[in-house]
Amino acid sequence: MGIRDTDKTLPSNRMVFELRRDEQKYLAFKQDIEASMTAYALSEEEKRAWRDMDIEALGAMGVHPYFLPQISRLFKGGSRNHNDSDAARLYAEKMGIASQD
Amino acid sequence: MAKIVATLGVAHAPGVTGWIDKAPQHEQDGVLAGYAQFQKLMDEVRPDVVIGIANDHLLNFSLDNIPDFCVGIGEQWAGPAPWFRDWLNVPDYTVRGHRDLGRALVRESAKAGINHAFADKLLFDDNWSVPLKFLFPRYDVRFVPIHMNPIVPPVPTAAHCYAVGETIARIVQAFPSDERVVIMGTGGLSHDPGGKDYFTVHEEFDRWFLALMEEGNADRVKRELTFEKLLTGGDGGAGELLAWVVAMGAAAVCGNARAETVFYVPSVPMRCGMGGVYWRLE
Repeated sequence: MGIRDTDKTLPSNRMVFELRRDEQKYLAFKQDIEASMTAYALSEEEKRAWRDMDIEALGAMGVHPYFLPQISRLFKGGSRNHNDSDAARLYAEKMGIASQD
Repeated sequence: MAKIVATLGVAHAPGVTGWIDKAPQHEQDGVLAGYAQFQKLMDEVRPDVVIGIANDHLLNFSLDNIPDFCVGIGEQWAGPAPWFRDWLNVPDYTVRGHRDLGRALVRESAKAGINHAFADKLLFDDNWSVPLKFLFPRYDVRFVPIHMNPIVPPVPTAAHCYAVGETIARIVQAFPSDERVVIMGTGGLSHDPGGKDYFTVHEEFDRWFLALMEEGNADRVKRELTFEKLLTGGDGGAGELLAWVVAMGAAAVCGNARAETVFYVPSVPMRCGMGGVYWRLE
């Protein structure tokens, strides 16, 4: 799984792209993830992965790798994103790798 | 005519502004001393204009339509983009643009067979917010951002990036002004945002790359810095070093392809091989 395995047309890629660029859309996502997922026409498989915060599954479906840590920050916030932050620990846990300094 | 007074490549990873206190003291000291040395070099060459080349990070161009390079031709820039503010911990800033030079880069590159997109507005993340804060803390230069695609295959080859840099240099050298210009590639070294190596730094790859820049052999860069090789420095991150190859191509046109390494600090807490090189041209 890597940048060569990206499915550029996967709806989740569009959703992540826009959530980072548009504060209103990010706010709406935080308030109602189901409505956002429906608005971007995510598949049922994608929706399940988002509900579970399953970052590795989203990567396997073709979300661009650069978006994967950003997904952890969409859920857990981006401030103080060190290796022991909530976002980095979520990423490590879901990717099945050790978060260590 | 305008004059290129230096080119450089330097890391832009957000750990240095966002959470450097989490790194061991010797890493903090080494990285901050390295950026301070770059600031000193900039104070010596006193650029009026900085042309930057860095990863767009899928921020301005989505997967449906990504240019290899996009030249920012706006007259005014601001950063960081809102979603990245707390992540970067960099105060809001503005920096003047340079529309005439940006337009010349697009127009004349096309005549040289190189197609650049262009944009009046671009969002900035760590790509510019980190290096500008350290190298130009007064934001008192005019800035032409060139956003590139090193992370969504197919990415431009090292040979193409080198030619882009050569062409930029020739255009600057023919630009009718007396401005002093620095060409600044940002990104790298090894890191892997979004892969299994998120918490890994590839020091051996980094030292190989720094030696490649120091040697200044264009043929070797074009032959050995392949896409596959870049993947070994971190699947989703080391490709950013193609921006340094642009700076090398520009330096070569100015008579010195051999870089000097300013600093190198591999840092797992910052999740990046932190470092930079400098092509002395005066």
